[in-house]
Amino acid sequence: MRKIVFITFMCVLLLLPLTGVFANGQKEAAASGPVSFDFWTTETQSNRMATIQVLIDTFTALNPDISINLVAVDENDMAANVQTAAAAGTLPGMFEAGAETAVAFGADNILDTDAATKIIKGIGVDKYYAGTLKLLETSSKGTYYALPYHGWIQGIWYRSDWFKKAGLKPPATWEDTLKAAKYFYKPDENQYGILVGTKAEGYTEQCFTPIAMSNDAALFNKDGKLIFDSPNMKQAVEYYAELAKYTPPGPQTWRARDYYLQGKLAMFYYSTYIMDDLALQDVAEGSLTGENFKNLKGSSFDPDLVKNTGFAPIMTHKQPAGFGVVVALGLFKQKNPAVTSAVEKFINYLYTQNAYITFLHMAPGGMNPVLKSIATNPLFQNDPKGIFKHYGPQKMAEIIQGLNNIETFSIVDGKRMVAASQISAKQIIPQMIYKITQEGMNVDKAMTWANSEMEKIAKQ
Amino acid sequence: METVRRLYPASLDRKAREEIFGWILILPALLIILSLILYPIFYNIYLSFFNVNLDGGNTYIGLDNYKDVVLDPFFWNSVITTILYVIFTTIGTTFMGLIVAMAMNKTFPLRWLVRSLILLPYVAPVISVVFAWQFIFDPVNGIFMDVTVNKLHLFADRFNLIGSPKAAVWVAILFSIWKNFPFSYLMILSRLQAIDKNLFEAAEIDGADSWQKFKAITFPEIYFVMGAIVLLRIIWNFNKFEEVFLLTRNVKVLSIYTYFKAFTGTMEMGQGAAIAVIQFSLLISFIFIYVKKVLKW
Repeated sequence: MRKIVFITFMCVLLLLPLTGVFANGQKEAAASGPVSFDFWTTETQSNRMATIQVLIDTFTALNPDISINLVAVDENDMAANVQTAAAAGTLPGMFEAGAETAVAFGADNILDTDAATKIIKGIGVDKYYAGTLKLLETSSKGTYYALPYHGWIQGIWYRSDWFKKAGLKPPATWEDTLKAAKYFYKPDENQYGILVGTKAEGYTEQCFTPIAMSNDAALFNKDGKLIFDSPNMKQAVEYYAELAKYTPPGPQTWRARDYYLQGKLAMFYYSTYIMDDLALQDVAEGSLTGENFKNLKGSSFDPDLVKNTGFAPIMTHKQPAGFGVVVALGLFKQKNPAVTSAVEKFINYLYTQNAYITFLHMAPGGMNPVLKSIATNPLFQNDPKGIFKHYGPQKMAEIIQGLNNIETFSIVDGKRMVAASQISAKQIIPQMIYKITQEGMNVDKAMTWANSEMEKIAKQ
Repeated sequence: METVRRLYPASLDRKAREEIFGWILILPALLIILSLILYPIFYNIYLSFFNVNLDGGNTYIGLDNYKDVVLDPFFWNSVITTILYVIFTTIGTTFMGLIVAMAMNKTFPLRWLVRSLILLPYVAPVISVVFAWQFIFDPVNGIFMDVTVNKLHLFADRFNLIGSPKAAVWVAILFSIWKNFPFSYLMILSRLQAIDKNLFEAAEIDGADSWQKFKAITFPEIYFVMGAIVLLRIIWNFNKFEEVFLLTRNVKVLSIYTYFKAFTGTMEMGQGAAIAVIQFSLLISFIFIYVKKVLKW
């Protein structure tokens, strides 16, 4: 017994100085303010996460007091995850998501708009493309919910060689698009006319928005009154439902763009993210399955597809309309100001030339800069995948310019309609389209349902 | 013994000390059950009476959530889908398990290998088999459509079996039977192996045929195992989420309907909680009746 007491005593004596050292270490660390925060990104692909991780590692090597945990969140789950995290008091430090989602978060009063505005002003308001900032401006001028970081535009990509052979006009109007969709729809040959979203996901709304806007249909009028159940909107929904008859069977989302790469689709709505899949074999391979299914029609890469593909970014009916998404970086409100300042520091780093260009080069064509100086930077234009070379600087400049002219349901006559962003984040329109195209609900009933859901949001 | 005595006052008798010791032993499990199961259940019941606002400040609305749920035709569609799903998957997995177990109870070459291979669907990760099924039934590139439409001409047009809201429930049922029958098979087989062979020999001497042997010996012997399997399968499939959700989001069984109600769109968490309470009550009532009537406890 005595022996045990003696050994215990000696151990305590030996450990005491060590605990002192440890405690001092902790004090020192606390004084220099080590902080850590989560960064939620919608770039869920493993190669993109690896690139962002490299940027994080570089930043944290330069700032050893800051540690950042990168978390991938599917864009369709971002709103729900953030809302539950807000309720649980576990919001991350920052996020990367579409501008509409960011505005919806801003409307929920969970964003640090002061910090975002401070960073934008630090970089210089005039350095940004004005259109991209406009999408993130709050109702009081000169303050912003989040920071625009990159963006893409969307349109109909189509087989220009098929169109030429059939003597059809490019899909730039309602009539020409529907005519071509019907013409190329040959299910017996496993060939389909067009891909528009019919699943209850964000992609469906991305396809629907330019169609509705080209018919002068909006969610709100300039006085902020919900006008979803207008005759123009009904026409747009009916037209969309008609187009959806010529898509591949069942509920479809962006993933069905694979059918186009396999030569089984004439047209599809897609963003400029598709540019590398069209041009580069190694990128397209993920969609072709040629390695495993050599007998599958269209399983091998078509090197001529890039030159046989046309792009119609503007849809015209009563008026022309385009669509695109600006992706934003936002800061959530924090109890600890040290976290906010660490996030600010990291965002500023992400805007530095090398970090910014590295980020954008993850998907040339898909990720386009919102800073004018980067767009014209030779380093940016010399992307490692050679997309600029494939499409030429003129085409790329057009795309970036298109980013500056994006229109959405949430800005009417220059006024911010916050509820429109919330409606978008809550995917009411995609759910309505799913009900019509997949569950066979009639247009009036589905629109009445959507209208009542939108009213709930507008009243909040 | 010295240690045990030291834990309690000396005045306690042996029985009382053992009772306290028993409580100490089950305390960790009890705490886990209280914090991870009972607390969420009671909190869920509490939430079902409120209009839940994620920014804080829930509003008490009495039974309004229940009223909204019960008056919602989508809820009743979901109840019917769930009942359909549970009935067919339970019958399917049990019968399939029974037939395979009976077959595997016979002796034949390489039986050990076949017995192990049968377990594969059950042990394979659900996400990997879901991807395989989705690829098989892909309307444009899947082998199912290629064979049935192009090769055998069984159908005139290609269709999206997993995507179509009407057809998807049958694919989900088929998937569940295929994935889960090995569990029933394993349970039934282990019981079959324990049946005294003398009973069958005696029956044979009495001139009983295969069906009579099954009816008079096998079935009574495996009755309670099958009863327990059916009960477990009903409980599991009534609450099934991941298999159905990953395979197709179109089959709105109650758990998926609750998820959509609570976490997507306008996020009606109060109504989601109310549906969960209704689901829980339905299941508990069923279990009581089942345990009393079928398992005769």
